[in-house]
Amino acid sequence: MSDLFSISTSALQAFQQAISVVSNNIANANTPGYADESINLSSVVPQTTFGQGIGDGVAVTSVTRAVSQVAQTQLYSSQSTLGQLDSLQTYTNNVDNIVGTTAGGVSTALQNYYSAWSTVANDPTSAASRQALLGDAQSVASAFQTTSSQLQSLNTAVNTGITSDVSQINSLATSISSLNQQIVSSTSGSAAQAPNDLLDQRDADLSSLSKLVGINTTSNSDGSVNVFIGSGQPLILQGSTTTLTTVPNQYNASQLEVSTSTNGGNPISSDITSGDLGGLLAARSQSIDPTLNQLGQLATAFATSANTQQNAGTDLNGGVGENLFSIDGPTASASTNNTGTGAATVTVSNVGALTSDNYLLSYTNGAYSLSNASTGAAVAFTSTGTAADPTITADGLTIATSGTPVSGDTFLIQPTVQTAGSIAVAISDPAKLAAAAALQTSAAGTNTGTATLSDATVVTSSNANLLDTTTIAFTSPTTYTVNGSATSNTLPASGLISLNGWQVTLSGTPADGDTFTVQASSSGDNQNALASANQQTLGVLSNGTISTTGAASDLVTAVGSQAQQVTTAQTAQTAVNTAAQASVSSVSGVNLDEEAANLLQWQQAYQASAQALSIGNSTFQTFLTAISATT
Amino acid sequence: MRVTQASEQAQFLAQLDSLESNISVTQNDITSGDAYTEPSQDPTAAGEVDNYDQVLAQSQQYSTNASAAQGGLNTEDSALTQVTSQLQSLRDLALEANSGTESTQNLSAIATQVQQIQQSLLGLANTQDGNGNYIFGGYATQTQPFALTATGAAYSGDNGQNQVQIAAGQTVASADNGNTVFNNILTGNGSFTVTANAANTGSGLIGAATVTDPTAYTAGDYAINFTTADSYQVVNSTTNAVVTSGTYTSGQAISFNGTNINLTGTPAAGDSFAVTPSTNQSIFSTVQNLVTALQAANGTATSSTQLSNSITGAINDIGQALDQVATVQASVGGRLNAITTQLSVNTSQQTQLQTTIASLQGLNIVSAYSTLEAQNTTLSAAMQAFTITQGLSLFKYISG
Repeated sequence: MSDLFSISTSALQAFQQAISVVSNNIANANTPGYADESINLSSVVPQTTFGQGIGDGVAVTSVTRAVSQVAQTQLYSSQSTLGQLDSLQTYTNNVDNIVGTTAGGVSTALQNYYSAWSTVANDPTSAASRQALLGDAQSVASAFQTTSSQLQSLNTAVNTGITSDVSQINSLATSISSLNQQIVSSTSGSAAQAPNDLLDQRDADLSSLSKLVGINTTSNSDGSVNVFIGSGQPLILQGSTTTLTTVPNQYNASQLEVSTSTNGGNPISSDITSGDLGGLLAARSQSIDPTLNQLGQLATAFATSANTQQNAGTDLNGGVGENLFSIDGPTASASTNNTGTGAATVTVSNVGALTSDNYLLSYTNGAYSLSNASTGAAVAFTSTGTAADPTITADGLTIATSGTPVSGDTFLIQPTVQTAGSIAVAISDPAKLAAAAALQTSAAGTNTGTATLSDATVVTSSNANLLDTTTIAFTSPTTYTVNGSATSNTLPASGLISLNGWQVTLSGTPADGDTFTVQASSSGDNQNALASANQQTLGVLSNGTISTTGAASDLVTAVGSQAQQVTTAQTAQTAVNTAAQASVSSVSGVNLDEEAANLLQWQQAYQASAQALSIGNSTFQTFLTAISATT
Repeated sequence: MRVTQASEQAQFLAQLDSLESNISVTQNDITSGDAYTEPSQDPTAAGEVDNYDQVLAQSQQYSTNASAAQGGLNTEDSALTQVTSQLQSLRDLALEANSGTESTQNLSAIATQVQQIQQSLLGLANTQDGNGNYIFGGYATQTQPFALTATGAAYSGDNGQNQVQIAAGQTVASADNGNTVFNNILTGNGSFTVTANAANTGSGLIGAATVTDPTAYTAGDYAINFTTADSYQVVNSTTNAVVTSGTYTSGQAISFNGTNINLTGTPAAGDSFAVTPSTNQSIFSTVQNLVTALQAANGTATSSTQLSNSITGAINDIGQALDQVATVQASVGGRLNAITTQLSVNTSQQTQLQTTIASLQGLNIVSAYSTLEAQNTTLSAAMQAFTITQGLSLFKYISG
């Protein structure tokens, strides 16, 4: 009889536990990281060996979690990729918004600027149209500055994001590490039970971590996990936790890089390519900085060509045109790791050859070498790069090196990253706008030969005698004197005459006594204004194939394309991630209908066991009644 | 596959987000009327439209330029018409003075009238446009280009000629400078000019003088010297070599060096006529010469011969000026025609560009509405489906 009671009691206990497990499942149906649990029962083997082998009831052997390691690893990986694309998309969309359909207003401002030059050309002495042009020049500068500063503010946001991600990663790593310890201690005892709740928590933490940074995990036999990030840098390894830190970029202190507590402050940013942190780093290196570079390239090309044209003309006061725009040159930043005293000064020598790339200048074994900072590809340059040959010319840049570098020293050359933010209008007096060509040429009315003189081209605008009146008198069809001097000059076959920083070409045959005059032009001359207006379609970038306005349109397309690509990738990855989540959930998730059915099952089993106990009881009562009746 | 309620709900929420964000984009497009509001929605079109916008703005600027040039050239055209009419009046006065019957007093009155014409011409040469720029000053538009002097007028302008861009690669000159219009006018017949020596005592008058054989003609200084009243020698003034000689008959052409020169009247022995290559002379000098000649007349035979020869020279010079002004005016007319043509080309180009931009950028409102309709239908269907599946739960059928 005692058997009957103990069997039923064991069953009641087991089913009660089973109902608890189901209830727990239902309670945690929406808990992140919770894995569906199921109870494992086994029959109790009878202790007595004689008689019939009737079992001794039921016992709970374990409560197990439904976990698929494969599905979870896949989910971590897809979450990392999605995390990267999510944060990258935020930034590419921001860049897309800032640049917009008019390149941040640059396109419209350029359009108005060139039109204003045309209006000045229609009436070069009009103060009103000159003032309007200055206003439009100011708008161009403002559009460049505003767009640049908006993009720069995204870089600040990237820094904030990196700091926040690093701090979250560190706190998650600490949490995982502590869970590791608890799991190890709770599984090592003699009556050890699987620490399901701790495992759930650790999985939830790992999942959160994978959204921030791509992780690889390996399991140890004691139940702990190792976590690696980037290209295998250990975050948690056998109980020791590495702390992530932020360090300033070696070339640019305003940009934060990720480093670890164990590698002496060396950045590992380039290894971090996934997760939210990877997305932030990619946003900076693939979207924000390249857009700043492109915008800067446009600004440099625009300002340089506008200034060159300005220098070729004369203003309303008759002076040689001064620069209309001021703009910073390229920057060359020495690495903070440099040990030598080497320095580099970079200037733009050819706008057409300028690219939107950054360059790395490295000094190794007595010679400099140049490479593309993003691709690492070697860049050809003119010079041996040794101390004997200190000036390096490459891709439209002139790099003057000085000092004593030490092998291993590096410099980052950024030709255009900050130029768009630095452009400003350099003149405030509308009269200083050079609408007139510097020089005009004329033939004396009394000339009898057939010769005509071309317009004068300014070769050296800084020549002090540029605007001096020069009389060229021919003493024969091939010889001439200048300004009445006795010296006879011979006219070359090309007809080219160069003097005082200008050049003219004579065509036809002059007669003895013919005179020509080259002199400063008058204020009503519009040739330089006309040439300035025509710069709208003049190829100045990419070896003279792309105009400034064309480059602005190209920037719109490039930024839009990138935002579109990232959005497409993000949408695709969202679907992949949804599938990975569904796959994990199909193994580990709680199905409420299933739980309802289980609940009914265990309820019925409990009721049956209780019934069995009740029957046992009544049987025993019958026996007692029978005995009491006989005594 | 095993599905859980939690993942079903998460998926539904994600889909709801995506559906609602699509509806918001479509809504935004309809509100703005643009096919895209960010370049990322259509990067190629965004770049192209930006480019077309530039071309359109440039074309509109070309039209503005063309209209400005049209204004300037119309001003010049009307000034030139008035110059022509003044020069014609001048020629009429010269012919009147040359009738040989005018008294010294009358000649002096004519001189006054000629001076008035000179003032009118000066005013015309100093014409300013609506912006106060002198149109005949070349590049020196801020300085009055012409000022009368004792011998004509001083020109303080230059040889500049401003161009105006009226289309890509097409410019037209928006003005002509004073040298072209008023100063660089060849004297005589355009090749050479014949002048009587001031010391002539006879009554020899200069008649028609032409180049008859351009191939034989070479520019050079010659003198027709009368050795007696009826015989002449043509001498090369540089070499003093006698080119030809002959017997003078009034009205009969003296031919040498590919030219025919008619002299009439009765020259005296020792009289001389110089044949010199034409040089540039300002209209104002021509007028001043005429005034001086008219004022110098004192009624004597010699003076009358001198006056007549001077007037003949002046009439020739005025004729050259009329030709020159007509040539410039024809060129102005040609430029005005080019501008009118280009303005209509520009207008049609602008229409074309606007159409292209609209087709790239403009929203197809009908298709946008039907997209919105479809998106709304999907959203409400998704919501309904969710409530149906969520209504299914085994727990509903378990009763205590």
